[in-house]
Amino acid sequence: MTTDSVPAGDPRRLLSDTTALARRVRVDQRVTWFALLVLAVVTLVAIPFDWWGLEIRCSGTGDAAACRYWRRGAMFYWPPALLLAYAAIAYGYARAARERGLGTRIRAYALTGATLTAVFTASWLAARLYLYDNPPAEPFPTWVLKLDLLVSPAGTIGVALLVLARLERNLALLAFTLAYLAVVVVPIDFGWGRGWGLETTFLPQQVVNATVLLLGAAAFALARRRQP
Amino acid sequence: MTGEPGAAPAEDEAHPVTGLDDVVHQRVRLGILTIAHEARRVEFGYLRTQLQLTAGNLSQHLGVLETAGLVAVEKGYAGKRGRTWITLTDAGSAALAAEIGRLKLLIARVETAPGDTG
Repeated sequence: MTTDSVPAGDPRRLLSDTTALARRVRVDQRVTWFALLVLAVVTLVAIPFDWWGLEIRCSGTGDAAACRYWRRGAMFYWPPALLLAYAAIAYGYARAARERGLGTRIRAYALTGATLTAVFTASWLAARLYLYDNPPAEPFPTWVLKLDLLVSPAGTIGVALLVLARLERNLALLAFTLAYLAVVVVPIDFGWGRGWGLETTFLPQQVVNATVLLLGAAAFALARRRQP
Repeated sequence: MTGEPGAAPAEDEAHPVTGLDDVVHQRVRLGILTIAHEARRVEFGYLRTQLQLTAGNLSQHLGVLETAGLVAVEKGYAGKRGRTWITLTDAGSAALAAEIGRLKLLIARVETAPGDTG
């Protein structure tokens, strides 16, 4: 940068300098690893809540057994946990940006996350409350099951991360979030926990979701440290 | 051109250079506005580092922008350290958008000008 007036006929360079500065600011405002770490911790802490709060009622025996799951732990844990997580992320972002001498745009992410949490969790829980007393006669179509996974707390985390990727114009986060959502909506089954009992039905997927978020946090932290 | 021969060009057909604002059309000041726009609020030290300026030089440019009503300067403390924060005003935001628009128009004009390669 010089303090001279810009030479006439150099608009392209001026525009590219402007774009580069804006990109630099956006990069300096990011603490993506922190957001992913908080969400990974929230996902991990959910496991014992889900475990101890799970109520299972089975009818029939053997292959004909039909079981109904009532996830009381998830119901009480997720709404306040996600709201606290978004508050923590907003605080962390604001603090990091202030230390770097910048403001932040994170408030929009925190508000979107909180709103999604309220709407998605309410619909997720309402569906469970209804289905617990009115079990369906036929299995649900696949798209309903996928939609249910998308509005689950794990899916809500992914949808809110899409908003963060948009706000930060962060392509790496967008790619990561799409991969995370694919893992949530198309659950990975390594065959774990088959003999562990019904209480562990949801455990493998929760561990996978948390691990993906933790790996993402580690990767973004590493990328951050390598930046000049 | 759609006007009478020899008539002055209509305002919307005027060359984009004629609409450039001298306060904003300057590399450092455009940089300050860009950073303040993207950051919402930016500290003096961050601007100095990113724009590679001396404190005195940056203060001069900030003075020009503040006088023009394009930025607001707020002094405060972070612990015992004095800090100066710069925010973009609405006028600053509009001026930045107008400048970027004109630059893009200028580039488009240069790229579409027939046989005008020097």
